[in-house]
Amino acid sequence: MPPILPDFCNSVKLKYVKLGYQYLVNHILTLTLIPVMAGIVIELLRLGPEEIVNLWNSLHFDLVQILCSCFFIIFTATVYFMSKPRSIYLVDYACYKPPVTCRVPFATFMEHSRLNLINNPKSVEFQMRILERSGLGEETCLPPAIHYIPPTPTMEAARGEAEIVIFSAMDSLFKKTGLKPKDIDILIVNCSLFSPTPSLSAMVINKYKLRSNIKSFNLSGMGCSAGLISIDLARDLLQAHPNSNAVVISTEIITPNYYKGNERAMLLPNCLFRMGGAAILLSNHHSERWRAKYRLVHVVRTHKGADDKAYRCVFEEEDKESKVGISLSKDLMAIAGEALKSNITTIGPLVLPASEQLLFLLTLIGRKIFNPKWKPYIPDFKQAFEHFCIHAGGRAVIDELQKNLQLSAEHVEASRMTLHRFGNTSSSSLWYEMSYLEAKGRMKKGDRIWQIAFGSGFKCNSAVWKCNRTIKVQTDGPWADCIDRYPVHIPEVVKL
Amino acid sequence: MAEGTFIFMVKRTVVSTGPVEPGKFCHLSVLDRLMEQNQVKIVYYYPSRADVEPGEWIEKLGDSFASAITNFPIITGRLQKNTEGHWIVKCNDGGVRMMEAKVKGSVEDWLKNVDREKELKLVYWEDMSPKPYYWSTFYLQVTEFENGGLAIGLSCTHLLADPICATMFFKAWADTTLSGIMSTPPFFYSLPLSKADNKNPNQGSYTDLIDYYKSSIERPTPLITNQKYATITLSFTDPMVRDCIAMAQATGASDKSRSLAFEALAALFWVCLSKIKGTNGRLLKMSLCSDMRNVLGLDQRFFGNCMVYNKVHLESAGENMLPEASKAIGEVMKKMNAEGIKDLIYWLQCNDNQTVPLMNGYDFMCANLEGVNPYLATFKDRIEPLRVSYYVEPVTGPGQVLIFRSAPGEGPLSRVAMATLPEDEAAKLCEDDLIQRFSPTVLMGTNKN
Repeated sequence: MPPILPDFCNSVKLKYVKLGYQYLVNHILTLTLIPVMAGIVIELLRLGPEEIVNLWNSLHFDLVQILCSCFFIIFTATVYFMSKPRSIYLVDYACYKPPVTCRVPFATFMEHSRLNLINNPKSVEFQMRILERSGLGEETCLPPAIHYIPPTPTMEAARGEAEIVIFSAMDSLFKKTGLKPKDIDILIVNCSLFSPTPSLSAMVINKYKLRSNIKSFNLSGMGCSAGLISIDLARDLLQAHPNSNAVVISTEIITPNYYKGNERAMLLPNCLFRMGGAAILLSNHHSERWRAKYRLVHVVRTHKGADDKAYRCVFEEEDKESKVGISLSKDLMAIAGEALKSNITTIGPLVLPASEQLLFLLTLIGRKIFNPKWKPYIPDFKQAFEHFCIHAGGRAVIDELQKNLQLSAEHVEASRMTLHRFGNTSSSSLWYEMSYLEAKGRMKKGDRIWQIAFGSGFKCNSAVWKCNRTIKVQTDGPWADCIDRYPVHIPEVVKL
Repeated sequence: MAEGTFIFMVKRTVVSTGPVEPGKFCHLSVLDRLMEQNQVKIVYYYPSRADVEPGEWIEKLGDSFASAITNFPIITGRLQKNTEGHWIVKCNDGGVRMMEAKVKGSVEDWLKNVDREKELKLVYWEDMSPKPYYWSTFYLQVTEFENGGLAIGLSCTHLLADPICATMFFKAWADTTLSGIMSTPPFFYSLPLSKADNKNPNQGSYTDLIDYYKSSIERPTPLITNQKYATITLSFTDPMVRDCIAMAQATGASDKSRSLAFEALAALFWVCLSKIKGTNGRLLKMSLCSDMRNVLGLDQRFFGNCMVYNKVHLESAGENMLPEASKAIGEVMKKMNAEGIKDLIYWLQCNDNQTVPLMNGYDFMCANLEGVNPYLATFKDRIEPLRVSYYVEPVTGPGQVLIFRSAPGEGPLSRVAMATLPEDEAAKLCEDDLIQRFSPTVLMGTNKN
């Protein structure tokens, strides 16, 4: 079986061959144009100036032909600019920083688990093992209602949490961007598990006295990837409405969803999900192109719900004692892998440089025609992106993606550190990761960022952003007081 | 619902605001380890204020408590046994249990007809669970009175703190709400040892103290019976205390280790209770418990146990019982000097056995808590406490009396005495002639309703 090129990376000679190949294929147009241009210039020089003038005069142009050509050029240009999709800019975003008083260290979590599940020591042991290997730190936060023994998840407490998280993020966003509430044209709120009437978007409209002709949407039930779904929706709306601002709020309200039973498959979310939220301002105003942080390049959504196993792998249901919880199936990682593959297959051609695409095509042809036993070529996404934001769903997810995409520890650092400091904040975790990269001063103009999120259904959604301007390290933001301590080494198992 | 009934009570955990460095341990001294069977309970009452929203204070206090305990990792840690079988505290950031409660009525009404049983409802306590690693060593209860006022109950195991440092901790917490910084951060030291390590512990100027501890450790723990106790709180104003000192003819300058007010009042209670308990003209067996921080040259903010017990004995007293009692007490207090205490500590370290006595369950105990003033604990926007009550539980045997300072405005020598006695004796105490001669105010009696 012919070996694949990456296996020989140890060999320096082959490395240079690979680099040469990439340069050749990626710049093929330039490389073919240069000899052609050189040839023309040499020819012109050879002819001499008088010959060129004679050549020019021999072409008889009359007025009509000139005018028609001009109109044609102007017409083509107009059609081109009109049909080009509007640029969607991410002006700025704000992440919610939970108060220190909501902190839940491991010891406290385990004690509460022991006291609440007093008749189920096996379930407590299970939670302890999960927590030890979870990759979470001692500073993640749970809402106040969960600090009670037993937890007091009333509707009022849930609304209280929603208000604190969403309004703090919004206030922070208004301050950062100077946006006025009356200037919001589109509002999209996504919160998967808490969906009161009136909706959370109505709650925001009521609090900030937004306009009566606002286009508001409330997405619920769409899991951890709902953040990117909201961005996709915002993008489509901004294409349809010129000169508009869209605010997207991504959050997950923990209070009503703390599982009170002892079914193991359902206890996992209790260990991992934590308080968090983000508010993002998107705009298609042309004037925002100077101060916007990022520009949205692609959004790719993949849904594997047609497959029954994928559909049932993250399922909210009642356990034997009629307590509601979210059950995670054992095939979760396998299904996530499949969903990721589908997503990559779609996003690959959009973002990968020509060299990788060619290799992939050749290997594909080879597998189809010559030998099906050839291992499929995994394109090197590190050439397409400078930064990766993998949804901090859990340590296993990050490990799996790091392996599949062959990423280095530095590439997944943002995801791992977000999981450590904030836990799994569901749809907003991608924004905490972006915030980490900015706080570390790694965002330079022209950098491309890939955000990947998984969610129930089973969905895998990706968004590609391009950094619009080099972002200076800011003194505010959720990482401001602790960025100097990061990155930390997260042990495989924390001894509790 | 009647006044004084609890509307609700919920439990949660308060966690410190900053994560603790992992792998930190706090060791306990020999004096700490002797107190394992006891608990300290303190109740602070704060008056009504018209401008406060219900529930607002519970939340604010919880938040400020969280930042206060960041400076006390020993409080948020959990007990574990080390290789030698001794208790140590693993600073694992477990947090402190907090109870939030609400009671009908106002704090002023409550104080009018409170008794021991009711007051102890304001301070939450859980005995050590079979798995001490998951057991909180400190408990905070904040009770809001529906018609105004607040009661804060702090309880902790005597293993980690004595009433003096518990009071200092409370004050430090109150200070953080005033200025945001802790003006009296704690000191964690180990107790000072004798200078001469090779000194024979049995030789020395004062072996009575060591003997007392030896006999306390060796005797069996008294069983906790069904005997019901009542607590009487008597407030002695400055002039009353001066009268008492004069009558007890307590002499000598009040210095670091001696307090005339305490000696006089202790003698007073000694004499009265001997009469009530009927010891036929002899004075009952009594032990004194006093704070040794000053004596040992430690800062007042030393966190840990630093209260030492000693026996006081008077074979027979003639007509002038009070002055003779006072003299006996004075002598014992004088002898508890630095060298003697250090010898005791050294002896305890050398004779470290695993039995844990109940230090205050045998003889009648009289404790001197004058070293701190609990009325200095002022929270932001609140004026100083209306009243403070101390309890050292469990109470067995003949009972105990705790003597501590009253509110600052009442004079430097004014004192409050809380006597916990079997029910029938408690009733007789208020009516005793000798006590009545000083006519103290009865802040808490044995009202039966």
